[in-house]
Amino acid sequence: MYQWLDDRLSIGKLYAKAFRKAFPVHHSFFLGEITLFSFVTLVLTGIFLTLNYEPSIRPVSGSLSGGQEVPAAYYSILYIDSLPFGAVIRSLHHWAAHIMIAAAFLHMLRIHLTGAYKNPRELNWIVGVFLLVLAIITAFTGYALPFDNYALTATKIGYEIGAAAPWVGKLLSDILFAGELSPTNTQTIPRLFPIHVLWLPLALIALIGVHLTIMIKQKHTQPKYAEKVAPGKIVGVPLFPQQAAMMGILFLVYIAVTTFIAGAFLAHPVQAFGPPTANTPAVKPDWYFMWIYGILQIIPANWRFEFLGATFGPQFWGGILVPTIIILGALAIPFLDYSKEKQRYLELPSQHPFRTSFVVGMLMFYIMSTLAGYKVDLGLSNGLLWVLVFIVPIVTGVVCYIIMKAIYGKDWNREPEIKLIGKGSAADD
Amino acid sequence: MADHEATAHHHEHHHEDPQAHATRRAILQAAIGVSAGAAVLSTLWVGAGLVPREEKIPSKEPVAVGDVLVFATGPKAEQEITLDDLRAAQRERIPFIIAFPKSPENVVKKDLITNTIMVILADPAKMSPETRQHASPEGVLAYSAVCKHLGCTVSLWQNDTWLCPCHGGRYDIYNQAKVVGGPVPAPVPQLPVKVEGGKVVVAGEFLGKPGADV
Repeated sequence: MYQWLDDRLSIGKLYAKAFRKAFPVHHSFFLGEITLFSFVTLVLTGIFLTLNYEPSIRPVSGSLSGGQEVPAAYYSILYIDSLPFGAVIRSLHHWAAHIMIAAAFLHMLRIHLTGAYKNPRELNWIVGVFLLVLAIITAFTGYALPFDNYALTATKIGYEIGAAAPWVGKLLSDILFAGELSPTNTQTIPRLFPIHVLWLPLALIALIGVHLTIMIKQKHTQPKYAEKVAPGKIVGVPLFPQQAAMMGILFLVYIAVTTFIAGAFLAHPVQAFGPPTANTPAVKPDWYFMWIYGILQIIPANWRFEFLGATFGPQFWGGILVPTIIILGALAIPFLDYSKEKQRYLELPSQHPFRTSFVVGMLMFYIMSTLAGYKVDLGLSNGLLWVLVFIVPIVTGVVCYIIMKAIYGKDWNREPEIKLIGKGSAADD
Repeated sequence: MADHEATAHHHEHHHEDPQAHATRRAILQAAIGVSAGAAVLSTLWVGAGLVPREEKIPSKEPVAVGDVLVFATGPKAEQEITLDDLRAAQRERIPFIIAFPKSPENVVKKDLITNTIMVILADPAKMSPETRQHASPEGVLAYSAVCKHLGCTVSLWQNDTWLCPCHGGRYDIYNQAKVVGGPVPAPVPQLPVKVEGGKVVVAGEFLGKPGADV
């Protein structure tokens, strides 16, 4: 049997060439894999959900809604929750989306802190930034589908933020959401549904393919120690069976942990907010939108002018401009911090105090703008929040830089020497 | 020179007219250009079909003079709001009612977002003169309930101000919904109302443009 397959598919050659490819190992390298596992989980749970979901808001009533007339989409969520493990699978879909975005973000942070985006991997950094943005957009287009009052409110804010883009915003928002979001707009769900379950996932699959192909073609970066162990060679384990076994185990652990989380913390039942009404419940966005939500709250109301028929108001500054600047900034990083030589080994964050401090400052910006999301709840003043959001991160970055210089500035010329001597004598023994 | 070219292109026909060659190239390039242009135009033409079509139905008509305000939500949804309902609301945590207009033909105009209206019974003595002018003598006061910031329904009440749950916009209902907090770019427009037979009746158009200001 093997011989028969090998004659036709040259499995032996494929094995020698592709499956024996060495992959460097480090625990932080699994963040990308966790992102991928989340995507696989989302597709699998998504298949179950689509098969039971009705993308329509026609009024239906039945025993699950207690005879009350509710939108069909809403009713199908009640139905899914009533299936064996239905609520768990729906929650697994919910949590896997959160974990995918979190893991992608941490993966990006790892790449940033170790300088792995440098020549020749600029292109894959850019693909990665687009993947993160696309993943967030995909998550967002899924918000409206349960069609409870929470879903509609959250999506409506997205509609209006999109509409705040100058000149074309209203048109694009109307195309994406099939008109203004309202409890009675029958076209919105039929439009968001295929975007969420088909077109954006296809785009994600294509970009993930590009991301992995580039990674394999360019070879994965190696930890710093590999340079000392075997300079110029790749220190790692073969894709098959070692790397594959690790991936398999990690995937099973991932599924076990997320299923436990999904079972223990169910996504909110649609009954909690009920079908959409004219009223807006007090809702908070998910953590990956909370920082935008915070910034939207602290932009002064009078920052508003009109230019060539477009309005530039607080919605534009907070909802469009700030996120755009951050995305463009992320895209520019590999071109601002450039290395002429091709990078094979990862850099230590401690040896790059400026970059590390910058990342710490940005994290502080994220934390503080998230805090601004609780402005009304905590009764914080706008002046204080401006200091927290825009001054504190800069101060944090500067302090971090000074501390890093003080701690690592002296050691870093001396340390390798001591280490080499220690190593050398150990080898001699 | 000609000799050289002939050698370079020895696989081609020997007596090729360079003039005809150039003409053919120009025609082909023009054809490609025209096709590409037509493809782009037809894609845009087809793509324009993605823009949602506005349907004219009675429940999507904007609020008009003579409409009666009805409950938008809750167990009394689509029932007419009476002065007694407003008095009862005064004692609640949320002292106002979210309403839709109902036309004299008994159509509840609930399919137009900007028809979402907030109605409250407030103390006329606390109102600014302009506000009082468009309120009923009893103190029934109405505004567009669609937040000028990002279009949420302004649905909360805190420290005698009207509060939007989405991004913390605050309005002073006693002073033509002047913005007193949050990122809201403009006040929501007031809706002139009067009380007739215990019901709240629309007495004029919105005093500004309702809906999110984007």
